[in-house]
Amino acid sequence: MATASTSQPELSHSPPREPESPLVRTLALRREPFWRSPILWFRTLTIERRILAGFSLVFVGILIISTVSYRNTSLVVANSKLDTRSHELIRLLANIDATLDEAENNHRRYLITGELSYLEAYRRVVEQKPNFMQYLDNLTEGSPEQQRRIDLLEPLIDRQLAAEADALDQLASHGFQAVMKMALEGAAKEELRDIHRLIAEMEMSEQQALQRRILVSAFTTTRTILLLGFGALLQLVLLAAVYYLIRHDITERRRVAAELQRRGELLEAANKELESFSYSVSHDLRAPLRHIDGYASLLRKAVTESLNEKASRYLQTISDSAKQMGQLIDDLLVFSRMGRQEMLQTTVNLDQLVKTVLYDLRLDLQGREISWTIEQLPEVPGDPAMLRQVFMNLIANAVKFTSTRPVAKIEIGIDRRLPREVVLFVRDNGVGFDMQYAGKLFGVFQRLHRADEFEGTGIGLANVRRIVHRHGGRTWAEGEPDKGATFYVALPTRRPRT
Amino acid sequence: MTTVKPILLAEDNPRDAELAMAAMEEQHIADKVVLCHDGAEVLDYLYCRGQFTSRLKGNPAVVFLDLKMPKVNGLEVLRAIKSDAALKPIPVVMLTSSREERDLSESYSLGANAYVVKPVEFHQFVSAVKELGMFWGVINEPPPERPESGR
Repeated sequence: MATASTSQPELSHSPPREPESPLVRTLALRREPFWRSPILWFRTLTIERRILAGFSLVFVGILIISTVSYRNTSLVVANSKLDTRSHELIRLLANIDATLDEAENNHRRYLITGELSYLEAYRRVVEQKPNFMQYLDNLTEGSPEQQRRIDLLEPLIDRQLAAEADALDQLASHGFQAVMKMALEGAAKEELRDIHRLIAEMEMSEQQALQRRILVSAFTTTRTILLLGFGALLQLVLLAAVYYLIRHDITERRRVAAELQRRGELLEAANKELESFSYSVSHDLRAPLRHIDGYASLLRKAVTESLNEKASRYLQTISDSAKQMGQLIDDLLVFSRMGRQEMLQTTVNLDQLVKTVLYDLRLDLQGREISWTIEQLPEVPGDPAMLRQVFMNLIANAVKFTSTRPVAKIEIGIDRRLPREVVLFVRDNGVGFDMQYAGKLFGVFQRLHRADEFEGTGIGLANVRRIVHRHGGRTWAEGEPDKGATFYVALPTRRPRT
Repeated sequence: MTTVKPILLAEDNPRDAELAMAAMEEQHIADKVVLCHDGAEVLDYLYCRGQFTSRLKGNPAVVFLDLKMPKVNGLEVLRAIKSDAALKPIPVVMLTSSREERDLSESYSLGANAYVVKPVEFHQFVSAVKELGMFWGVINEPPPERPESGR
């Protein structure tokens, strides 16, 4: 990680360069050193972004290396084209030099011998001059120095040729003596020497340019090689860093997955243990209770004549307590089963469900006057048996806690219907409760009334809360002493993802 | 010959056994009850081995099986009975404290004829045992004894 982060300072930060006032300087002193900030920035990234940043850097690096290499190679290729031209120019210059020499020599021979064939070379020069001047011009294109020399060269050659033409005229009009006199005076000698000198200069200059270009090409090539080498190394390092990141990420993910699996197994083992525990409770705890009640009954039977009222009441209390404990155990088992039982995932018609609950409660409703208000209820996703338990408990509670009312009023309805959630409620005009105990209502074995007021084990609402939580919902209650209570159940309209 | 078939009660807990016997007594069928203290004894009885080698041949009218017993538990006894062609016709009633769904479904899938949860309340327990004894031991017509089952 460190490798990747130190190699990207250009991405995010450059140190302040404005003229520094003392204030700025103290600020700068307080800041992290500039190369630290990309590291800090890098640390804030998620692993995916880090990998992306790494690959981006590699990509940018490859782009830069490619561009620079392309430019360098183009330069070398262009230089090599220029080299070919220079060699041509040098050859041409040598040619011109030789041709002019030959023309001059043959011209002299003609002047001495009068042999016409000696004039061939001269005539060829005159004829070809525009051509090779043009060629020279082409070959020196882009080199002002050489062009300037050509500009000097052309009039010199013209003058040389003019001098030779003059000599031919003199020969024709005044004879050999006049020509000899010209030669003695040194006509055209100056020009030819200047031409030689200029051509030599041009040659030299071209050679130097050639030499320079070779140096430049060699340097550029070396630089390209170095760049490629260094770049490749850098890319390798970056890729290694990215690889490290990815591998680190994968290792981390694997570790997390393994850890999750381990915890899952632990949880499963704990669940199994709990199951066998509650199985034992179910089986073994009930037996002694049965014996207590059984032997109390047998005792009552055995001593039935000599049993006074007090002793009879004691025996009754023993039996009642045993029965109550049996009920508690049963309720606790139901509660524990609600927590671990596999949940069925279907759609539950609450309307139908409330109807069956009321049918099941018909024995409790006998001899009671209850005014029911039941709204049309929706369908919700969930476990039918569990949700039945919820409404069974809530409605049974409402029936139980309104038993002191001459006319009980129980209302079942919808408080709020949102796209994601429905809030259902069961309202009664029963004994209600003090809101300061609202937090205790849904606890296991929590009761707000004395056992001789209303019977119950205090597990019903705990079951309600547990089931509703398993459905991804919420429960709460509102009440007022002696006025009534409302119990709310908020259920999600979509299946929870667990 | 129509000898009165015995009722086999498998119960490891002596108190439960005593209470059950008290209930049977009220119904005057206690003398028909053979008490076994664990699953192994039940199998010994059925196969006429061990202490039951010299017992009268013939299957019991019904077997009342507790689930949780030492040595061989109720479900194992049930499996043994229902997988033996000669014993298979014997009605088996599970009489247990467990209300666990797992026990219920396993018992029925193994071929139990009834499943009764022992009530905590003695009166209910007595009436349950009385009715069971009455129904399976007296009212219900047991399967005919097959000639080849000389047990």
